[in-house]
Amino acid sequence: MIISSHLNKIKQLDAGMALLDPLEDFELWFWSAMVAGTNAVNAALHLAQVTPSESAFPSQPGLYYVPEAEGNKFILKEFGDVLHVGRPPIKKEVPLDIHKMMEAMERIEKFRDPCTRGDTEPNAEIISQCKSAYRECIDLLQIRVLDNQK
Amino acid sequence: MTPEFHLQKALRIEKSLAKLSPDLFEIRIEAAMLASTHWLNRAFHHLGVNGNDSDVMHTYMLTVNEFRKLESVNSELITMMAEIEDLRPLYVRGDMPGAVEAADHAVTLLGRIRAISENISLMKANPQSL
Repeated sequence: MIISSHLNKIKQLDAGMALLDPLEDFELWFWSAMVAGTNAVNAALHLAQVTPSESAFPSQPGLYYVPEAEGNKFILKEFGDVLHVGRPPIKKEVPLDIHKMMEAMERIEKFRDPCTRGDTEPNAEIISQCKSAYRECIDLLQIRVLDNQK
Repeated sequence: MTPEFHLQKALRIEKSLAKLSPDLFEIRIEAAMLASTHWLNRAFHHLGVNGNDSDVMHTYMLTVNEFRKLESVNSELITMMAEIEDLRPLYVRGDMPGAVEAADHAVTLLGRIRAISENISLMKANPQSL
């Protein structure tokens, strides 16, 4: 997806998170942070020209929808948006700040299946870890965006 | 997970979904996907086609044989679930126009999946209701 659309998605998902209680609405609050953080990673990868800013939307790792006048089509691509950090892995050198963003996202992702699909009860400590990792990811993106504007 | 677990998770997600405004289409589509998956798993556990240790995560992660098996048991459930999943690349991970309408559609499909799932659970609890 193009960079401006990734940034819009982060705004949208942040707006949703603001309406949700992190504990009471954990599943959607968490999912919003995970999807917004993944958009941040994708935007940063595009800004660093590691992956392309383009109208191609991931369906499965390596498989992308591409909108065309005569209808959407699927294409296979090596480099494009990741669905989650590591899906697919980026087989290129990744700048250190984006590597830190990815590590932050992995700290969020480790709670995905246990807390949204499994029987691990979310608690204040899990929420605190997710908030901190999400903040780190978004802050690092902001720095890269500002650097890019210089 | 157990049918009761899926029920509680689906209800929780639907309660959270009700707090979101229509313009927040990304998370509304994701909420429809998450809650529908719990309703679908509850139904397939009650139908005896999948045990409590065998949950569907995403329809596109099923093998062709698994998809066909579930489709043969209840084609509406698995087909509507796949329809919600197919909205995600275009409107959650993509920026295609018509996203608010797509989210409304996803929530409508969630309602239909829930109704079928609840009906299956009702028949399981009370076979005389057939």
